[in-house]
Amino acid sequence: MGRDPAGGGAGTREPGPLRLGTREFGPRERIILAIVNRTPDSFYRPGVTWDEGAALARVDEVVAEGADILDVGGVPAKPGQEVTAQEEIRRVVPFIAAVRAAHPDLVISVDTWRADVGRAACEAGANLLNDTWGGWDPALTDVAAEFGAGLVCSHAGGLPPRTRPFRLWYDDVVADVLDTVLGLAGRALRAGVDPARIIIDPAHDFGKNSWHSLEVTRRLSELTATGWPVLLSASHKDFVGETLGAGIEERLAGTLATTAVAAWLGARIFRAHNVAETRQALDMVAAIRGDLLPVRMVRGLA
Amino acid sequence: MITGVAIVPSPPLLARVLTGRSVVLPELREACSVAVGRLVATGADVVAVVGAGPQTAAWDPEGRLDVAAWGPLLAAGGRSKPGLPLALGIGAGLLDEAGYRGPRAAQAVDPGSSSADCVALGAWLAGIAPRVALLVVGDGSARCTPAAPGYFDERAEAFNASARASVRDGDMAALAALDAGLGAELMATGRAAWQVLAGAVLAGETGFAGEGGLSRPTPGDVLYADAPLGVFYLVAVLDL
Repeated sequence: MGRDPAGGGAGTREPGPLRLGTREFGPRERIILAIVNRTPDSFYRPGVTWDEGAALARVDEVVAEGADILDVGGVPAKPGQEVTAQEEIRRVVPFIAAVRAAHPDLVISVDTWRADVGRAACEAGANLLNDTWGGWDPALTDVAAEFGAGLVCSHAGGLPPRTRPFRLWYDDVVADVLDTVLGLAGRALRAGVDPARIIIDPAHDFGKNSWHSLEVTRRLSELTATGWPVLLSASHKDFVGETLGAGIEERLAGTLATTAVAAWLGARIFRAHNVAETRQALDMVAAIRGDLLPVRMVRGLA
Repeated sequence: MITGVAIVPSPPLLARVLTGRSVVLPELREACSVAVGRLVATGADVVAVVGAGPQTAAWDPEGRLDVAAWGPLLAAGGRSKPGLPLALGIGAGLLDEAGYRGPRAAQAVDPGSSSADCVALGAWLAGIAPRVALLVVGDGSARCTPAAPGYFDERAEAFNASARASVRDGDMAALAALDAGLGAELMATGRAAWQVLAGAVLAGETGFAGEGGLSRPTPGDVLYADAPLGVFYLVAVLDL
């Protein structure tokens, strides 16, 4: 899955601006994709934004905390009760329309693998298709092209949506990730997706055991070296929990450590539950790298 | 002779780039700007910057502060080499900000110099041109509060107050009489430079005093005198 037999993968490129909706993000900016799930049963704090009022309030909150993009999902990644396309649309599309009305310039991403859902979301004002399941539905690429939307090209190890990895192995997981995400990016380019709107994502936990996710993190520079903007989606995931022996509510420090390492290695987009903490971690990395001026320096300078 | 004097402190944070996105102590910056602006407006032949340095020596008057020594990340714009000692570099930067393009001199003074040596250096400096404007860059005690770089020393307040009063009253003899040993204990890195000032002004008064020969105290205009970060900053102008 996720391979395009008709053509090759995208090559490397010079890092350039990422254009989403009305926004343009420079190569040295660190972008936060804030998660607002329209599900009753996502893995982290299930149902917290199931109520539409709560979800809209959460949007205001994450925007105030420094989120650049909102990532709206209607289907949990884990297996469970079927969510039809019709139900997924019912969960996310009116909400996207409401967010668009309240925040005209906020970039809105929809976390879906389905072209039908992506189309309805774009019609309601979404600007980015977060195709976490690695191009399972090739028509989603065409929706991105048709609407001038962005596209996240992910590596899910070829697994069907909502399935867990079962004894998956790779000769070289990073090579497989590169092959897949550049293949999807190439397919997107041929479909007419604007190259300034394409993102690549190794998709931690998806089609990977936790060793694979650590490896992808450790060698993230091999992804950033392609020049395509890299998305890190690590927040509270199982690889953090397994690495630290930490329960679902105990994974913030591990998430932020992963965030800092990925930022240091050049990731540009960070999918986050904890926006304020993530922004602070990213600003710290940016200041260490010399990409961001510190707020106020006085120590030893008086 | 000395035709104008400005006194400013030398915290690195006066180099605007070093404080990051915030302007720190804007009122101090403004006072320094006013003082240096008034100094350069006196139209002297040369502006002589005097401040603490590793040894008493003249430095390249075209030198500048190497901010990368304090903020290594800021080296991107290229480093100033050789960088001036802090006080001279801060003085040079203030002259730049004032738009001063005329002749300069940069004189470092060993902060451990005796008062007599400082006074003698001042007398010499007063004679380097017919009309010398003096930019005195130096700080009072760095032990003004428990949060100060040098922690708290109860003697700091009186020492700083004495320096301030001497400048305000134009009492250069009192400034020359500040205790060098106490100044060192109080981490008053500007004591030596202040006493160079005293020597420079006193030289003019004894050598060029009008008929009668009496010294005429020149009251100073104190624009800032405070220790918001535990280091005593004094900004003043003497109109001679």
